Amino acid sequence: MWFTLSYIAWAISAALALWMLYDWFKTDTAYSEDQLTSSREGEIEAVSEKHKV
Amino acid sequence: MSQAAQATGQVPAAGQRISLLRVLGPAHVWALGVGIVLVGEFTGWNFSADKGGALAALITCWFVGILYTSVAMIDSEVTSTVAAAGGQYAQAKHIVGPLMAFNVALYLVFAYTMLEVSDSILVGDLMVTVAATDGLTRHAFVVLTIVVLAWLNYRGVLMTLNVNFIITALAYLSIIILFFSVQPWSQGVVLKLNELVTPQNALPYGWIGVIAAFQFAIWYYLGIEGTTQAAEEVRSPSRSLPYGTMAGMITLLIAAALTWYVCASLLPWEYLGFTFFPLFDAARVTGSPTLEFILFWGTVLSAVASANGCINDAARAWFSLGRDRYLPTWFAAVHPTYRTPYRAILFLLPIALAFAFIADLNQAITFSILSGVLQYTFMSINIVMFRNKWPLGSIRRGYTHPFHPIPAICLFLLCAITFFAIFLGFGSQLIAMVIFYVVVSIWFHFYRYRFVRRGDQFTMPWPKPKGY
Amino acid sequence: MAKYTPPEQDKALQFVDVGFLLVAIFLALWLPLQLGLAGAAKAIDKIENPTWELLGQNATMVSIWEKLGYTPATAHDIIQNRFHYNIDWLSLVIMAAILIGYFVFLFRASDKEYREVIAEKFGDSK
Repeated sequence: MWFTLSYIAWAISAALALWMLYDWFKTDTAYSEDQLTSSREGEIEAVSEKHKV
Repeated sequence: MSQAAQATGQVPAAGQRISLLRVLGPAHVWALGVGIVLVGEFTGWNFSADKGGALAALITCWFVGILYTSVAMIDSEVTSTVAAAGGQYAQAKHIVGPLMAFNVALYLVFAYTMLEVSDSILVGDLMVTVAATDGLTRHAFVVLTIVVLAWLNYRGVLMTLNVNFIITALAYLSIIILFFSVQPWSQGVVLKLNELVTPQNALPYGWIGVIAAFQFAIWYYLGIEGTTQAAEEVRSPSRSLPYGTMAGMITLLIAAALTWYVCASLLPWEYLGFTFFPLFDAARVTGSPTLEFILFWGTVLSAVASANGCINDAARAWFSLGRDRYLPTWFAAVHPTYRTPYRAILFLLPIALAFAFIADLNQAITFSILSGVLQYTFMSINIVMFRNKWPLGSIRRGYTHPFHPIPAICLFLLCAITFFAIFLGFGSQLIAMVIFYVVVSIWFHFYRYRFVRRGDQFTMPWPKPKGY
Repeated sequence: MAKYTPPEQDKALQFVDVGFLLVAIFLALWLPLQLGLAGAAKAIDKIENPTWELLGQNATMVSIWEKLGYTPATAHDIIQNRFHYNIDWLSLVIMAAILIGYFVFLFRASDKEYREVIAEKFGDSK
């Protein structure tokens, strides 16, 4: 029983890993590199938190 | 509601910026912090009994509790003001400087990745123990844990931390159930504290053992500071982060006290210092199959919650390094649908897997503890510099911690003691790891930093620091 | 102060940088294992023909060990595996020196870099 379980574990892991690789590939081809890396630190800070006293 | 469902309406149009999603509340912050740490009650803290005896485990539990209360207070103040993914990394960058920030990010990545590795090994080992089948190895379960959690993290932070909230709460409940099932109010019925911890064996190594025990007592609370990693994804960071972190710390102080009391009253200290599953073994000793079942799942869930939070935190630290060009910007990508740092998550996945196969558990834990203590040492100096460069009143702080600089001094002293504790018994490993950090620091300062934009790193809308 | 413009880094060199970090991490984990320096400095104080009494266990402890499935012979290696704390002052001094040197370098180099950041962000005027 436990060996079957461990094979199922391997199968699930492989399936999820493959899905992530597929999604990664899909995302990277669908969007431009500039847009994907367009997040900036402190962006929302600058709008919502005013550091004026 | 799943993250994906929530995010599908928000697929960004061409040219629109993609950032992390602000969806988390204080409960998620609590789940992230306590989720990472709670596994420490199910395994790890008990090695402090190995290093100094059962009483040393209790004494250090209190002292390290003070250390972490200081950490939580200091962290809450700084992070409620510097709210960015990467947590302490962004703090170091704004307050101390780039090289420090690079080191802090590495502490974070290693403390969490090594903890994730330890967690998954724990799950695997527990499965193998319970299966008691010849020839069964832990590998399949280790890999399953790491991959499923990476997938969950890849798919969105809200779902990830909702799951973490539930499994952390269940694991916590298992400790409470165990505590009340062993009639803690009447010693001698089930619990036999005064027969197991006697004057002769309470401190088998004397006071030096108490000092040595600090190393693993860190494990009662290691990771609570991870709450700050969520800063960019919390709806109201200046309120939720201090609240979630402090609530988490109180939860953990209670859990640590209950755990020690039950385990020290049920297991001889030599066994306590040897086992990898102290709470599970305590349940076994009671002879109740129900308790055994509950604590088995408590241990598994706590390990899964911890690994889950660790993936979340390590990925955010790695992502921030990429965003500031400390590492290639390629890592700074955010998934357009799920709004997660997906490349950082994917990159760290095989590394965690590799370590889970080659590293030994003790070593992974020690690397994690050491990275943590280096980080706390930084935090004690950091808060003093923060108060000096931006005195109270010069910027808006979400939370101001009381009694400054006493917590900073406490923290610094306790870190010094812990370094000495690691030196006792694990000295050569400590030196190897510090040399690693020295080498990468030199590499960063003299080579890698040339690719970093200077002024852009300072992103907070603050006035110029005092003294510059 | 003039704005510093970093050089564009070649894609291949970016891989080299990440590779360097990975190699450094693996070395930090592998070398201590290979040299036998990893793990706890413990040793077993051997007792011939152990009994629960010789191992210093009282009646309550014995009942728990037995519940967990141990005999004096199998418990021997757990109970007698002890730390021997003797402080080697030379290695303590070396460790302290490395640690303090590391932090001093960290803060001094960071400060140097930080001054550039502040100068570029806020301009040189005080």
